[in-house]
Amino acid sequence: MTTLALYSNKGGVGKTAAAVNLSYLAARTGAKTLICDLDPQASATYYFRVKPKLKSGAKGFIRGGRPVYESIKGTDYENLDILPADFSLRKLDVSFNNLKRSKKRLTEILAPFKNEYDFIFLDCPVTISLLAENILNAVDFALVPLIPTTLSVRTYQQLIAFCTKHNYDTGKIYTFFSMVDRHKKMHKQIMAVVPKVFNGVLQSFIPYLAQVEKMGIYREPVAAFAPESLASRSYQNLWHKIQAAMLSGKLHPAQKPEALS
Amino acid sequence: MQRWLMHENLKYNLPEDDPQCRFISQLTDQFRIKDAPSRSEKLRFYDTFDWRLFNNSLVLYQSENTFYLRKLAHHEIIDHLELNAPPSFAWNFPESSLKERLVPILKMRALMRLAEIHCRTRPYHILNRDEKTVVRLVYEEIRPTRKKDAAALQTHLWLKPVRGYPKVATALAKALETAGLRVCKSEDLFFSAMAVANKTPGSYSAKVGIQLDPAMRSDEAAKVIMRFLLEVMQVNAAHLAQDLDTEFLHDFRVAIRRTRSALGQIKAIFPVRTTNRFKKDFALLGGLSNELRDLDVYLLNENTYKEMLPENLRNDIDPLFAHLRKKRSRAFQKVLRSLKTKKYARILQDWEKFLNLAQRADSSAVNAGLPVIVLARKRIFKRYRSIVKTGSRVLENTEDEMLHALRIECKKLRYLLEFFSSLFPRKKVDTLIGQLKKLQDNLGDFNDLCVQEEYLLNISRELPAARYETKMAQVAIGSLIGMLALKRKKVKDAFAKAFTDFTAPPNRQLFKKLFDSRIQKVAS
Repeated sequence: MTTLALYSNKGGVGKTAAAVNLSYLAARTGAKTLICDLDPQASATYYFRVKPKLKSGAKGFIRGGRPVYESIKGTDYENLDILPADFSLRKLDVSFNNLKRSKKRLTEILAPFKNEYDFIFLDCPVTISLLAENILNAVDFALVPLIPTTLSVRTYQQLIAFCTKHNYDTGKIYTFFSMVDRHKKMHKQIMAVVPKVFNGVLQSFIPYLAQVEKMGIYREPVAAFAPESLASRSYQNLWHKIQAAMLSGKLHPAQKPEALS
Repeated sequence: MQRWLMHENLKYNLPEDDPQCRFISQLTDQFRIKDAPSRSEKLRFYDTFDWRLFNNSLVLYQSENTFYLRKLAHHEIIDHLELNAPPSFAWNFPESSLKERLVPILKMRALMRLAEIHCRTRPYHILNRDEKTVVRLVYEEIRPTRKKDAAALQTHLWLKPVRGYPKVATALAKALETAGLRVCKSEDLFFSAMAVANKTPGSYSAKVGIQLDPAMRSDEAAKVIMRFLLEVMQVNAAHLAQDLDTEFLHDFRVAIRRTRSALGQIKAIFPVRTTNRFKKDFALLGGLSNELRDLDVYLLNENTYKEMLPENLRNDIDPLFAHLRKKRSRAFQKVLRSLKTKKYARILQDWEKFLNLAQRADSSAVNAGLPVIVLARKRIFKRYRSIVKTGSRVLENTEDEMLHALRIECKKLRYLLEFFSSLFPRKKVDTLIGQLKKLQDNLGDFNDLCVQEEYLLNISRELPAARYETKMAQVAIGSLIGMLALKRKKVKDAFAKAFTDFTAPPNRQLFKKLFDSRIQKVAS
């Protein structure tokens, strides 16, 4: 079983779109897959046409076990289940903070599902607090979408600095370019530089495409409603790169200190 | 009902007056239904000749370019692998978890394609207000070929609940019941596929699987055993020419050896002349393939041998195996030719005729009319005592020849126990066979190592002397012989323990209790 988080400490970078499409592609290979929507905005849940509701809300979620198990819904696709989001998840940080082992709570909640699923994808809200630490503890890999802009790269540096300071293995953090506009000179320049500075940059990118935004109209993964589109092929390519790079079980070398300067 | 409906798929028989499921359209009053395009797939099922996967309750099948492994009678896939055509042997599969699962089960047996069926499905999605699928109905039709005019073997309707939406599934199940559909037992598709291919799962096993009646005449019982062995010989001989794997020959040879042992060990049941004639005949048949079997074993062991060598010598030994492979292909042709001779056909014909001849009650052989259980006890106990005696002498003075003699005696006892196992409490006989097997493994290993050392020494002289590769190979062979000799010494040292374990009081008492005729008389 492999747990993957689509995570970023910056908003609007394409986390949910990636989580929805990658989990769909993983399930299509025959692997039993679960996508957990941890974001109270419930976008992934919306894309799969599921009601954003957890049995006993965030309380039940934190308790783990039966309420979580019974909240899981089958999606329209074989082998793909979803643990829907709930508006009450917005207070997850505070709730974890009031508990013992506050940084390992998510690991404990997910543990019972490790036997049932081959892949667990986490669609995470924007966070770099206690919830972020829970996520980093719970997953085998964290996948960070990166828009090729200076601000994005700066945020990414903040994340690496945060991990280094709190002793999280930066080797399990991978990144890929998202919402790329090939007409923009700055995008091209940054895409050329970033792989030289950071380790774990996947050689695959998701262009900025209207098809991806149309997922909100169709309420389906783009890989399902337009399987031959450029958007769908980009996600497929990304999935192949993820399989090759991460699922062979290897971590990339930890980030060098100069990556932070 | 609601609880198990949450996860279980339900299979329904279709109403006879509506095999095409037109009634589904009537459900639209109650449910929002969207139909999806139908899908055809070809399923190919694989197993070994002796049903190793089936015996482990596993089903291996191919759909398009993916192989799936699942539990028999379960729909959940245990493992899958993208692959266009399967290699014959598990060890040739690409590195994958599927390979890891298959290797210990299939071992040296080849995978065979056993059956092919065509499956057409048409899914109907039941939607909720958000247009989300909350339960699926799938019409399924199975045919032996792709052609539509071929009679369908099965047509069914599946109700497949979606996790987390049990209420709709329950409502739909009720609606189907009202429409007159009945849930049917969900038999694994594997069995329908096998029926199409006219195959019976589990039908072949090289193990002696016969049931004897204790009161049976001994000569008739012996014929039952021998007829079974003849069948094993014939079934395997029929596949030898295809050269799929080494086990057809192996099973064929074991059946011959068992027949010889039965002729020799179940004493005085047939006229002496008949027994002697067939003993000679089967000795001849067995001898025909000795060389081929030896070569098979060396080639099967190729990796084991290489692993015994120091790493820098591992590739040097390749010329030896190239040479053995060439020898094997010649030996194989020789065996095929010998199986086509008149002599071979004649022996088997005469043997079959003799086995099918009714036994005459006034047979001159002393033991012919004895109830088989009496003879079985007598023979097994005698053989056991003789092993105890020989073994004790070996313990005092471990000579290689004595070990060899003891190995042959053990083999005879093993065959007797297997022939007559149906006459005795099964668990107890199985325990004794298990104990005996441990001793046999020790003796067998010792013998194999002796033979292999000598064989390798001789074969190294057959390699073309002038070549540089040969010299390197000879060094490697020398090193291998050294390793084998070391191992042989270890095996020999382990003999004492293996033997004392076998003759330990619990086994001794069990042998006495089951087979000693004096104790049996007192009991009755």
